[in-house]
Formats: sequence, structure tokens, C-alpha cells
Amino acid sequence: MIRCEHLKVTFNAGQATEKRALRGVNLTIPQGEFVTVIGSNGAGKSTLLNTIAGDIRSSSGRLHFDDRDVTSLSAAARTRDVARVFQDPLAGTCGDMTIEENMALAYGRGQKGGLRLALNEGLRKLFREQLSRLNLGLEDRLDAKMGLLSGGQRQSVSLLMSALQPSKILLLDEHTAALDPKTAALVMDITDQIVAEKKLTVLMVTHSMRQALDHGTRTIMMHEGQVAFDLQGDERSNYGVKDLLNLFAQIRPDGEELDDDKLLLGT
Amino acid sequence: MSLFSFLGTLEIGFIFGLVAVGVYLTFRVLDFPDLTVDGSFTMGAALAAALIIAGINPYVATVCAVIGGAAAGLVTAWLNLRFNILHLLASILTMTALYTINLRIMGKPNLALITEPTVLSPFQSLGIPNMYLKVIFVAVVVIAIGLLLAWFLKTQYGLAMRATGANPRMAQANGIVINQKIFAGLALSNGLVALAGALFAQTNGFADSTMGIGTIVVGLAAVIVGESLFNSRSMLVIVVSCIVGSLLYRLAVSVALNADFIGFNTSDLNLITAVLVGLALILPHLRREWKARKAANGGEA
Ligand SMILES: Nc1ncnc2c1ncn2[C@@H]1O[C@H](COP(=O)(O)OP(=O)(O)O)[C@@H](O)[C@H]1O
Ligand SMILES: [Mg+2]
Repeated sequence: MIRCEHLKVTFNAGQATEKRALRGVNLTIPQGEFVTVIGSNGAGKSTLLNTIAGDIRSSSGRLHFDDRDVTSLSAAARTRDVARVFQDPLAGTCGDMTIEENMALAYGRGQKGGLRLALNEGLRKLFREQLSRLNLGLEDRLDAKMGLLSGGQRQSVSLLMSALQPSKILLLDEHTAALDPKTAALVMDITDQIVAEKKLTVLMVTHSMRQALDHGTRTIMMHEGQVAFDLQGDERSNYGVKDLLNLFAQIRPDGEELDDDKLLLGT
Repeated sequence: MSLFSFLGTLEIGFIFGLVAVGVYLTFRVLDFPDLTVDGSFTMGAALAAALIIAGINPYVATVCAVIGGAAAGLVTAWLNLRFNILHLLASILTMTALYTINLRIMGKPNLALITEPTVLSPFQSLGIPNMYLKVIFVAVVVIAIGLLLAWFLKTQYGLAMRATGANPRMAQANGIVINQKIFAGLALSNGLVALAGALFAQTNGFADSTMGIGTIVVGLAAVIVGESLFNSRSMLVIVVSCIVGSLLYRLAVSVALNADFIGFNTSDLNLITAVLVGLALILPHLRREWKARKAANGGEA
């Protein structure tokens, strides 16, 4: 379970460029819920995920995982509970290292990195098994440099890596946005599989209304650093992309049009 | 080149192989350009020489030298991580401070180790002529350390250190405490360089307050020579290539200095090295530009 209590994040506080990216987010996500997060650019979606991961410290408010207050825990310490996949396929892996080395790193998440060899045959077997799920032939290229893979391949491997160690929370920040539609569909497919297998609590930011409604069990819309709408249950199942767009229009009373094609058509 | 000077070249080549490996750790593994090594090389020599002259066992003195170098690395890492001082500047600060500290350690600008015992003393009874013994000893030590380091870089800890340099955000997302890896990496790197200094002082019989000048460039030169010869992802090959790079670099320099018709002398070494490293950095850049231009022209045609 994730519980945000009045989370606030302010960048460059007290300077001319001050930016209140989160303005008091209250959100409780029960164990095993898959929440999709939408909202216009700059709404604070990434900031919310980064704050939960610990990359960004909140200026005020509290954050709990289950009953534990993790507000002051470092990002590294939170990785026992949190796994993540970034939007940029290059961000989640090391291009200079091999596929197996990258996976070994992820396998070590939440463990104390000691002076044991990071790779062994048992692990390679596990990695091969996992990679074969992707049907990309990567299981035969364990010692290929990560940098040689395409963006889609790298993102798929990142996703597998996030699930190598048990964790409770998975944070996905537009993790299919940089991919072509076919690869994006594959990655979403594996996402759903992993989430179901591991019964994870998920926050997935997406630019696609379709994706937001088709996946997960709950959808929130962020606006100006706050949760503007929270859709779940029957109400959500009756929602279509059109209805979501209407919601967007409502929270923008100035009538400003959404001109982001991706938002409208999204894959 | 005489056999004697050839052996001397090998000996220094191996010793600077340690420097190359240390420089590889900071520049390549951690992506932390660290100039502290100019000071920590001298510090290793100064500590070893001063302690040996004070009557301390040479092996204990050498260990102290390594600890001193590691501490210097920690100071640089601390300045950078705690106070956000740019890594280059932080390392220059430490290096500058070390110049004074090294003089204080030695008490004067130059210490000679002629009659004192050294790490080689226990082996002198073997009857191997000294000029061979020195090379063999240094080679064994450097190769053993190289192997250990290659193994270390493949452990969980070593992998975490490599990820810290290659992609800090990813490292952090995988639970790696990156600051801790940077502290450890700089301590390890400067400890190795100080060991090189301590060995140099004992095999060459002196420590000098200015002996560390240009250490960083020589180390970089060796790394670059090694990289251009071997292109491999294997940690073992990479570490070995640093050491081989150092040997080849020394041989090249020695040939250049010995070629009377060119008219170089020892004090020209730093200029030669700087030009070599400069060329090694410039050539790949020019080649890329040249390739890009060719590709652009080809595209139009
Ligand atoms: N590191 C930062 N420094 C200053 N401002 C930032 C930083 N990160 C994000 N912001 C600002 O905070 C707001 C929210 O950003 P973000 O959470 O990335 O939005 P999005 O919903 O598009 O993911 C934006 O106005 C952005 O410019
Ligand atoms: Mg974002």
C-alpha cells in the first residue's frame, strides 16, 4: 500500500524560478492496485513518481508504504519496495555493460552488494528464461552490449529487470512513450503479465487515454500538482476516451484546448 | 638500448601500470576525472621513504603509503560529494595541499634510500642479480594486483561501482548507494597510485617532492594506448591492457629519448607525453568528424 499525505514538492524554493510541482497530494493506493496516471505536461506526474521513489525529497507531507513512514528514507533504501522503469529507454540500463551484467545489477537490488561474483551459471539460466518471454531472441545474446539493442528491446529488458527481485511497488513513467506502436503493445503486454504474476501495486503514467483506461484498475488525473480526478470501479468501466477528454476540458475552465495528438489518439 | 636500460624501462612500465589501473578506475569506471594522483603518487613515495628511514619495516611502510593515498582520494571525493565542488577542481585542491603535506612528511625536498632495507630485501638472498630481481618483483606484484582488480570489477560490489559511473540514476534505482561507491573508488584508485609511488621510491632509491608531476597524464596515456590496442568488454582484458599500455608507452618514450639524432632529453618527457595524449584524444575526434563529413557527402550524391 502507498499512502501520500499532503505531499508537497517545490523546486527552487524562494527563487524567481520557484515551481510548486506538487501542491498537497493525498492519495491512498491499496496493495495490488494498478493505477494509471494521466494529466497534461507539467502537471506533476513524474514528480509524484520520483517523490515516491525517493529521487526527490518532499518539502512537506508524509509518505507511507504499508504502515511504515518512508518520508525520510533515501532512494536506494526504498528500492527494497520500489522498482521502476523510466520513459527514456537509455535511462534504465547501462549501455556500456552487457545484458547479463545489467540484469545482474537489477538482481542485486535490495541486497547488500558483496564481494561475490555478480554472475554465475544459475543466474544466467534465470536471465535466459526471463529473456525468452520477450520473444526477441535476446536469450542468446546475454553477453551483447546493452547499447547495441534498440530502444524497444532495451525497454523490454528494463521491464524484466524491474521484476527480478521481489518488490511491492512498480513505478512506470511513460515507459512506452518512446516506442513504436507494435513494441509498445508488446511492452504493455509484458507489463500486465508481470503485474498479475507478482501482484504489484502499480503507478503507471501514460500519455494515452486508451492505455489509461485499458490497463489497470483505477485512473487518476493530475492537474497543477494535485489529483484532480480519481476514477475507479463501475464509474471507470463506463468511461470512454471521449469522457476523459471532457474531464480534461472541465479542469481547464479557460477553455484551453488539448493540442497534444498523443493524448487524443495515443496508442 | 642496453639491457640495463631496457629492464629499467620495464620496471617503471610495470609500476606505472598500477597508476594506469588507478586512473582507469576513476576516469573510465567512475567517470570522475581525478587529478589527485599527482599528489598521491608522491605521497606514497614520501611516506614509504620517510617511514623506512625512521626504521619502520618496509612492508609496513608500504601499507601506510597505500592508506595515505587512499585517504587523499577520500578527501577529494568528500569535497566533491559533500560540497558539490567540481570533481576536477576538488582533485586539484587535494593535489595542491598534498604538495605541502609531502614536503612535511619528508622534512626536505628529497630523500635517498640507498642503504636502507626495502620490500626487495627479503629476496636479495636468492642470488638473483638486483636488476632482474627488481623487474620480477614489480611484475609479480602488479600482475597479481591487476588480476585481483579484474576479479573485483566482476563482483557485485564492482559491478555496482561500474554502474555508478555509467548511469548513476539507474544505479540508484537498483538500490546502489552511489556516494559510497565513489568514496570507495577514489580511495582504491589513489591507494593503488600511492602503492606505485612507494614501489618507485624503493626500487629507484629516492623520493622527491616533485616526482609526481605529470603522473595523471602518464596514467592516461597508458590507458589510452591500452584501449586502442584491445577492444574488449572483458574486465580482465581491460585491466591487462592498462598494464600493457603502460609498458608500451614507457618503451616508446625510452626509444625516443635514446634516439640521439632527435635530441630529446629526460626533461622533455612531459611535453612528449602531453603531445602523445593530446594526439590520442584528438585523432578519434578528427576521425569522427571526417567520417561524418564523408557520410554527409555520400548522402547528397
Ligand atoms: N528538477 C526540476 N527543477 C525545477 N523544476 C522542475 C524540475 N522537475 C520538474 N520541474 C517542474 O515541475 C513541474 C512538474 O513537472 P513533471 O512532474 O515533470 O510534470 P509531468 O506531469 O509532465 O511529468 C513542471 O512545471 C516542471 O517544469
Ligand atoms: Mg513526465
